[in-house]
Amino acid sequence: MTRRMPFPAVFGAALIALLFGCSAVSQTPSVPPKHPEDLPQGRVDCLECHKDVSTGALKQYDSVRHSRVFIDSHGTYARQGQNLCASCHAPEFCQTCHARKEEMKPDTKMGDRPDRRAPHRGDYTVTHQIDGRLDPGSCFRCHGNKSDSRCKQCHK
Amino acid sequence: MGRPTTVIPLGKRLLPAVVAITLLLPLLFAGTAPAADLSLSSKTYLRYFERELAGGNKDTYAPLYEYLSADATNLGEMPLAFHFYGWGRLDLGDPSGSGKESGDIGSAYLEYLHPQGNAQMKLGRFFLTEGAAMETLDGAFVKTTTPLGLGISLYGGAPVEQSILNGTTVGSSLYGGRVFFARAGFVEIGASYLMENGSFQEGKDREEVGGDLWLRVAPPVEFNAQATYNRSVSEMASQRYAVRIVPGATFDISAGYESYTYKGLFQSTLNPAFVSPSVDNNDEVQTIFGIVDWAFVPGWTLEVAGKSIRHDKSDPGDAYRGEVGVRYTYNNKKDVAGLSAAFVAADLEKDEYQEYRGFATYSPSKLRLTLDALTQQYKKEPIPGIGKKNQYQVVATAGYQLLASLNLSGNVTYTQSPNFQEDWAGLVRLNYDFATTTGGKK
Repeated sequence: MTRRMPFPAVFGAALIALLFGCSAVSQTPSVPPKHPEDLPQGRVDCLECHKDVSTGALKQYDSVRHSRVFIDSHGTYARQGQNLCASCHAPEFCQTCHARKEEMKPDTKMGDRPDRRAPHRGDYTVTHQIDGRLDPGSCFRCHGNKSDSRCKQCHK
Repeated sequence: MGRPTTVIPLGKRLLPAVVAITLLLPLLFAGTAPAADLSLSSKTYLRYFERELAGGNKDTYAPLYEYLSADATNLGEMPLAFHFYGWGRLDLGDPSGSGKESGDIGSAYLEYLHPQGNAQMKLGRFFLTEGAAMETLDGAFVKTTTPLGLGISLYGGAPVEQSILNGTTVGSSLYGGRVFFARAGFVEIGASYLMENGSFQEGKDREEVGGDLWLRVAPPVEFNAQATYNRSVSEMASQRYAVRIVPGATFDISAGYESYTYKGLFQSTLNPAFVSPSVDNNDEVQTIFGIVDWAFVPGWTLEVAGKSIRHDKSDPGDAYRGEVGVRYTYNNKKDVAGLSAAFVAADLEKDEYQEYRGFATYSPSKLRLTLDALTQQYKKEPIPGIGKKNQYQVVATAGYQLLASLNLSGNVTYTQSPNFQEDWAGLVRLNYDFATTTGGKK
C-alpha cells in the first residue's frame, strides 16, 4: 500500500515556495547579514548614521534605538523578526541569557562591562527569592525550560 | 508474534541528522573558503573561588571556560552563512558543577538570506523568536515577505531544552508558524501558532496561539501589543500592551500593561521553581509599568522606571518597584559612569528592599579599568536565622589590549551578604577576535 503525502503538507510547501518566489523578486534590499561598518564598544545609537525605516525590521530606526525603553522591551521587537538584530549581534549575544544550559551569570562574564544591563548582579541567590515571589514571569523567560541545575538544590 | 515497535518521536529521529547535516554542509564550500568572510571569537575565562563546607572543610574551585563563536558569511559568494556558538568547562580544582567537565552547543546552523525581500531559511540548531515562539530548536525555519507586505514563517524540529523537574521530560518535537502583514514604517500585525509535543503539566502537550501588533500611530507615537493563549490549559498565558513615544533621538518614554497566569505561562515548565509548592499555580500577575530614557545634556542620560505588580492572591501580596539612575558617557563614548537607586515597597515586609549602585570605566589607550559597587538592603532578614539584612559587592577589573585582536583582563570580586561573611573571587579573561573583513558582530 502506498502512502500519500498529506494535503496540508503539500499545500504548505507549495505556498512557501510561491511566497518565497514572490519575496525573491522583490526589489527591496534585505538587511545585510553583517553590519558593513565596525561598531564601537558601548550602546550604539543607530540614529547617528541611519534615518527613516530599516529594510530588515520595516520599522523606523528610532524604534530600535538601544535606549533603556528598548532594552527592557527588546523581546517584543525580536518576536516580529530577528534579521535586523542578527546584522549586528552574533547568536552568542542572545544566548548569553537565553540559553538551554549556562553556568556563568552574565555579569560575571561581562565584569569588565558594568555599563551593560546584565541581570542578577550581586549575590543574587538572596534577592531572587523576593523578585521570584513577586514577578516569576520575568524569571521564566530564561529559566522556565532552559534551566540551571543549581535551581534544584532548593526547588525540589 | 513480531517484536513490539519502539516509537521514536520525530524530533528525536531528526536530531542526529540535523546536527550532522549542519556540521557537514560547510565542508561543501571548503574549496571556496577564501571567498567567505570569516569571523571567530574566543573567550576564555579562568575563575577562582572557595566555599566553606559543613564541618569546617573548604572546597577550592577553578573552572576554566571556553566560549567559542564563529561565523562564515558569503559562503561560495552566495548569500549563505554558517554560525556556531558553544562553550565548554574543565575544572582545574574541585568539581564546580555536575562533574568536572561540562558544555553545550548553543547554535550551529546554516542560514540563507536572499539579497532582496528578506526571504530567509535556517537549518540546524538556532535560537528563534517568532510570534509565540522563543525557543532553541534543532530543525528548520523559513520566512518570507512578499512585496505586498504579506508574509509567512514556518519552523519545526526538536526543542533544545533541559529538564530538572522530576517526572517531566523535554518536548519531543516542536513546530509552528506565523502569518503577518507589514507595511514599512506603519504597521506589522501577526498571528502565530506553536505546538510542542510532550508531557508537560497536567500531562498535556503545549499548544499556543499568539497575536502581535506594532503600529506607528503618528510619527513619534507607537503602540505594541503581544498576547499568547495556551490552548492546552485553556488559559491566557501572557499579554503585554505598551504605548511608546519617541519624539527625537534624545527622549524615549513608554507605559503599558502586562499580565500573565501561572497556569497558562508555566504549563510547559521543566523547572520545579515554577510549579507547586514553589508557586501557587492559580495565581495571576498584573503589572502596570512606565519607563523614561532622557539624554537631557549631551553625554548625560536620565533613566526612570516604575512598576506596580498586583497578585490575585494575598500571598505574596502586591508590590511597587521604582528606579532612578543617571549615566554619563565620556572619552569618545568608550567609557561610562553611572549611579542608580531602586526600591521595592510591598504588602509584605519580607519582599521589601532598597538597592544602590555606582560604576565607572576608564580606558586610556590600551588599558581599561572598571569599578562596580552594589548594595542591597532588605527590610527583613532574607534568610531566616541569619541576622544579616544587607549585602555589598564590589567588582574591580583591569584589562590590557595586548594585540589588535587579543585582550587580557581580570576581575576581583568582594562580596558580603547573608550567604557570605566575606567572599573573594577572581577571574582571568582572555578574548581573541579574528575577522577577515571589517564590520559586524558584537
